[in-house]
Amino acid sequence: MMENMLKIKQTLMTSIFEVFEKMFYVFLEPVEKTHWDHQVVVSIRFTGPMNGIIAAYFSKGLSDVMVQNMLNLDEGEVSEKLREDCLKESVNMICGNFLRSFDSSKVFDLSLPVCETAGKQKGEGPTGEPGQSLLLDFASGSGMLGIACTVSRPE
Amino acid sequence: MSFNVLIVDDSNAMRAVIKKIISMSGFKMDKCLDAENGREALDTLAHEWVDVIISDINMPVMNGLELLARLKKDDLYREIPVIMISTEGSEERMREALDGGALGFIKKPFLPEELRRKLYEIIGVSNDGEYAENKTNADDLDF
Repeated sequence: MMENMLKIKQTLMTSIFEVFEKMFYVFLEPVEKTHWDHQVVVSIRFTGPMNGIIAAYFSKGLSDVMVQNMLNLDEGEVSEKLREDCLKESVNMICGNFLRSFDSSKVFDLSLPVCETAGKQKGEGPTGEPGQSLLLDFASGSGMLGIACTVSRPE
Repeated sequence: MSFNVLIVDDSNAMRAVIKKIISMSGFKMDKCLDAENGREALDTLAHEWVDVIISDINMPVMNGLELLARLKKDDLYREIPVIMISTEGSEERMREALDGGALGFIKKPFLPEELRRKLYEIIGVSNDGEYAENKTNADDLDF
């Protein structure tokens, strides 16, 4: 499982970079764990040969830029509905990209992404369940992203 | 010549992105219709002419593969080209979609160029809206 966790970490990071660069024109850099206030948490579950959940913690600055870049909008045109939609889609893409990069010969089922507003700390809430957990932090010029991924073997 | 496109995705943001890519690629769209799931897409098809469908797979109510199966069973809709755009990119899912009659499968995240190229292959028009040289001749179409 340790060896797999390393593969999971590398594959997940590559998937995150690919989604942010291709769809949002945002270039992230991994950073050491930092303290910051996230505005929105979006989580998605997957089941298959490996079960798990990926939760993404977005700062307001980052989510603003993501919506603006994806939809070519000005700052004042970003609505909460569009923000939620855009962040859900990003987590959906990260999860799908991660799973097919991890093993494209296997079929995984993805849940619909769930969006929560701030209030919980990273590591609490969506990922507080049994399994191997991975916490990653990223920064861009516009804000911060935290990723929590928990995986477990199917029962 | 302009086309009617139906974009099926439960994400407003993704529908807007796809629409923007098509517009900016120079394809002449007459109508760009959209639907949040397969069921809504079928409702739209009941009263709108559509030349090409671009559909997600993972959607509530009716997913993209169910929609594809329903289209291929229907004499009226089976010839409409369908492009699947999805995060679900396992070999089995892709095979399922292509065997089910989809003409293309684009994995999210994707570059605008990937969609433009696939549309060009399927619709057969160049960026400025003119017929490509290899476009099917109207006389060859079997009505």
